[in-house]
Amino acid sequence: MYKSPLHIVIMESSRIIFEGLQTIICQSELDCRATRIETLEELTDILETRKVDILIANPMQFINREKELKKIRKAYPTLSVASIDFGILLKPSVLTDITFTLYDSASHIIHTLEKLERKNQSPSQLKSESDNLTRREIEVLTGLVNGMLNKEIAEALNISIHTVVRHRKNITAKTGIRSQSGLTIYAISKKIVEIDDIEI
Amino acid sequence: MRMADLIDANPNLLLMLQHFNIDFRVSDQTVLQLCNGKGISENLFMSIANLYNGFGSKGDQPFTREDLLQVIEFLKSSHHYYRSDKYPQISSYIRQLQEDHAAKELRLLEKFFNEYFTEVLDHLDYEDNVAFPYFIMLLDKEKSAGEGEVYTSKEYSEHHSDIELKLQDLKNLLLKYVKIEGDLDLRRRLFFALYELEYDLYIHSLIEESILIPSGIRIEREQHV
Repeated sequence: MYKSPLHIVIMESSRIIFEGLQTIICQSELDCRATRIETLEELTDILETRKVDILIANPMQFINREKELKKIRKAYPTLSVASIDFGILLKPSVLTDITFTLYDSASHIIHTLEKLERKNQSPSQLKSESDNLTRREIEVLTGLVNGMLNKEIAEALNISIHTVVRHRKNITAKTGIRSQSGLTIYAISKKIVEIDDIEI
Repeated sequence: MRMADLIDANPNLLLMLQHFNIDFRVSDQTVLQLCNGKGISENLFMSIANLYNGFGSKGDQPFTREDLLQVIEFLKSSHHYYRSDKYPQISSYIRQLQEDHAAKELRLLEKFFNEYFTEVLDHLDYEDNVAFPYFIMLLDKEKSAGEGEVYTSKEYSEHHSDIELKLQDLKNLLLKYVKIEGDLDLRRRLFFALYELEYDLYIHSLIEESILIPSGIRIEREQHV
């Protein structure tokens, strides 16, 4: 099956960082191309005409722009967001899917992006294989598996605790698994999370 | 009705006999003869046998204090069966499976089972050390009623956690999700053991919920009147 190259957009004002990332990405096995942008507006413009698979961004650029990013994510559910961790503590958030730091090795960064790519290509697959869990249910499940409390999941996804509970009920109804540890094994079997991310 | 015929129709009744501490060589005895010989009321015996046969208990029949003491012995004996027979058997199958297959999920599955087993043991200990002694005290007519009671049947029914749920998870994970290649003999043995355990746990909680707890509540009420 033909797969179009990944389109990665990098939103970072430092030229050094952008070019560094671009070099790492282009020299890797990832079949992709990278575009540089400076603002969220540019991202919206690009999205109108082309597909963007991954946005790599300096999270400082999201400050006070959360609503806009959320709107973009809602409109383009297949867009994944990786943020560069500058060592500033940010709450785990619905805004980003994954983070890496500038001190991570090139292979780690590529591995991180590959993970996102897998997640990217599978929404339809996830739908049919994951007992029809919705994207939201998968997000709640991922939070659960990572040991987050209902309250934390609610905050991260910007939904009410009541809604988290409802998603949990639906997850159990669809999978037949009730316990958190059972759901962890389910999520790994379904490749919703990587086993390496789970402490054994 | 001869006991041997009943066993023929539902071999699970052997487990019930064992929990009642009755030998399997039942000869040609009828249920009534067997009960009389063992000092068990036919009412109690048939109520539990009906649960094993899938008929639900016969409602709120009053069980005597002697019946209830026997129920407690019965439940204790089934604890022994879980602790020293069924769970270790399942545990050894899962261990074997984990050793035979590379799938990393199996390591998590073993961990899942071990944690679950620990929870079950805690629950069994709690019943043996807290709940059953309370019921035995409650049933002891000589003791003055309700004096210094710090516990009630209702509390027991609330604490009575549903250890069947995780077992259900385990079954579903193995039936629907975790991929294991081949090894059907071992996996069948594991499934059979899980279903046997599930069946007996189910009856166990039915006995607690339909016989022990309602009777305890009734006796508490009588004592407080």
